[in-house]
Amino acid sequence: MKKLIPLCLAVLISSSAVAADTSKTVLQVYTYDSFVSDWGPGPKIKAAFEQECSCTLKFIAEEDGISILNRLKIEGTKAKADVILGLDHALISEAKKTGLIATHQQNFANLKPSLNWSDDSFVPYDFGYFAFIYDSTKIDTPVTSLKELVNSDASIIYQDPRTSTVGQGLMFWINAVYPNQTSAAWKSLASHTVTVTKGWYEGYSMFLKGGSDYVLSYTTSPAYHLITESESKYKAADFSEGHIAQIEVAAALNTSKHPQLAQDFLRFLISDQAQKILPVTNWMLPVIKDVPLDAAFTQLITPSPINMDIEQLSAQRKAMIKVWRSSAVK
Amino acid sequence: MLICTVTLLSFYGLIAFNGQGADLELLSDSYFHSILIFSIKQALLSALISTVLAWPIARAIYYYPNLLFKRAFLSLALLCFVLPTLVLITGFVSLLGRSGIITPLLGPDWNLYGLHGILLAHVYMNLPFAIRAFHAQLQNIPASSWMLASQLKLSGWQKIFLIEWPVLRANFNLTFGFIFILCFNSFAVVLALGGGPQSTTLEVAIYQALKYDFNIGEALTLAWSQLLIAGTFFVLLYRSNSVSWLSKDTRGDYQLPCSSSWQKIRYGLLYSCTLIFMLTPLLALLPGVFAADYSRSIIGNILEALSLTLVLGIICASVAIALAYAIMLPIRQSILQGKTRKTLVLQWLANHSLIAPAMVLSVGLYILFLPLIDLDSVGMIFVVILNIMMVLPFAIQQIRARLLQYDSDYAVLSQSLKLSTRQKLSIEWHYSKSVFFSTFALVIMLAMGDVAIFSIFGSDQLKTLPWLIYQYAGSYKINEASLASAVLLLLYATLLFNLERAKQHA
Repeated sequence: MKKLIPLCLAVLISSSAVAADTSKTVLQVYTYDSFVSDWGPGPKIKAAFEQECSCTLKFIAEEDGISILNRLKIEGTKAKADVILGLDHALISEAKKTGLIATHQQNFANLKPSLNWSDDSFVPYDFGYFAFIYDSTKIDTPVTSLKELVNSDASIIYQDPRTSTVGQGLMFWINAVYPNQTSAAWKSLASHTVTVTKGWYEGYSMFLKGGSDYVLSYTTSPAYHLITESESKYKAADFSEGHIAQIEVAAALNTSKHPQLAQDFLRFLISDQAQKILPVTNWMLPVIKDVPLDAAFTQLITPSPINMDIEQLSAQRKAMIKVWRSSAVK
Repeated sequence: MLICTVTLLSFYGLIAFNGQGADLELLSDSYFHSILIFSIKQALLSALISTVLAWPIARAIYYYPNLLFKRAFLSLALLCFVLPTLVLITGFVSLLGRSGIITPLLGPDWNLYGLHGILLAHVYMNLPFAIRAFHAQLQNIPASSWMLASQLKLSGWQKIFLIEWPVLRANFNLTFGFIFILCFNSFAVVLALGGGPQSTTLEVAIYQALKYDFNIGEALTLAWSQLLIAGTFFVLLYRSNSVSWLSKDTRGDYQLPCSSSWQKIRYGLLYSCTLIFMLTPLLALLPGVFAADYSRSIIGNILEALSLTLVLGIICASVAIALAYAIMLPIRQSILQGKTRKTLVLQWLANHSLIAPAMVLSVGLYILFLPLIDLDSVGMIFVVILNIMMVLPFAIQQIRARLLQYDSDYAVLSQSLKLSTRQKLSIEWHYSKSVFFSTFALVIMLAMGDVAIFSIFGSDQLKTLPWLIYQYAGSYKINEASLASAVLLLLYATLLFNLERAKQHA
């Protein structure tokens, strides 16, 4: 027993001393797990940015976008990150309430005018439309509207709107399509929901293993299967009510000890180089003009967007979550 | 006392966080009602199914003592009970998940996520526990009862009601209550198999309020509700007695009524079914183990998590046993001096952390220390402290009997012999060595399986093996989860083997 104690201490000390290259500045970024996975944009973005910054880029992954915000709220000024990457436009006002978000010094001349972007703190880095994905070899006639899906008995997987920006997107979608019967719509959906996952990656992986008929994701998800797997069976269902758009954003924290480096990274995110990486790794659409896209992207559905008042939505977010969690209980 | 301070601190945290009180509005929210009802419903069902099924199985083992692998069966039963729940969940997912091995046989409506899965996992963990408890109790039937029964020519039913039931009755209620509390406080199973908001218990809702919403007011309300309900149940239970489920089978010479061959077949069948039920989820890990990707990073992750888990377990178990011994000193003193009331108070204080669920204590401390220190870097210290508190009552319970017996046998003698403290300790050590080893094995298993405390205080950089399994299973990497689970299972089986051996030598 006595021999064990020094051994334990030795292991504890050695395992807590995380090996780090101390010669370079380290820029720490909070993001979500699929961003940093081997097939995600993380490794390529890291390699490209480190080449020009002579720094070390370190990603710290949470399960999904909202978890990043929650972590920020929990840690407050003790947050380790210099940059947060992976919130979406609906979370901007809530994120700003933490008082931790720094204003950026970016020039948006190159952004697509359709995004109509003018925020002073957050930088958009990609965007997409939420959609339900299905396997066309299993489903011959997919649903053509959100209402049809809600009323069907097709098994679905979606993400928790408290943690995932994708789940939050569905929440806005349901609220837009059922402004007065939100609760009833959630109840109907719950009767054929397999599970509600914490993050997008967890839910999508489960769907790919045959977990459900439909999974909540993006219209661009089939491009991933087309390009990396030459697999054309996964398709996005085109809904007649229109689709909710999501703009993913990043921002620097004002607690960062490397504010200039953080700004450099934000600038890099909307550079040609990064914008070419993101569509074929994060499987979302570029935010700047004239980025050549793989031919696979032309095979995707072109959804009609639902126009939404983001300010109003973020204000109602908490109330919407309450309705959801009371109704989604079986 | 140190442990009391920790509890008090966490309650202080629960009472006030920056003046932000509990969110009482939640109490009238239908969400709160439905999780409350669900928590109680699943716990009641789990306890009911486990105890009712355990009864005939315990009888089968009792009446048919020559069953094959009986000793192994009882060890396996203990393993099922102490096994980290995530190992089990991985097994169930690869068996019964959407693309599970057995799933196609269950029809299109089968869904592991939700009440089905939760009940299945809870019964799996607690049925063997109940079998062990009932079996131990049945062995207490004196041989004379059976002789009397055969002289009186009692029928089968009469035997059950006149001989078995009186012995089992108290134990039945106790086991039921104990399983109810365990399931009511269950965390990992519900988190992994609940399927989101569809089936959430209070324990998981606390975690979600804190980590999903960062809604401290709600977390406080939920934690207090959890504490009140679990606490009330525990006090009710504590007043009745403790379950002697780990007692070794000492009496080898008990005399049994003869069973007819028809009965033997029935008992044998029941026994085999249970054995299959207990083994299948564990064997279901094998396909994943063979198919796993043995890349350097995955092996590295597993080994790193394994060493952290072991280190945490060893520290927790050593400190817990040392503390248990220290706590027993004043209790033994007061027993020797015949102060009954003082003894009771001391024992209650020693066991008080059983009342407060790990999640409630963790949340209290978390909220208290959040604004004060960087919890991310010292979180591990809290994981250790809280785990020690959680396993301490078990450690005390285990070493208590042996130490008290030592006192009653030798205390007077050693006093009159005027032995030095060193000599006394050495005699005491020789007397209770085996109990200390078996307690160490039990306590380390309980501490290493923790997920609830780690989920609050743990960090991304340092993961315990159960948490790594949760993450693998969460991202549906069932092969990797199976591999990690198999490693943990092997570790537990080894520990358990040593525990049972130590008990036999005791």
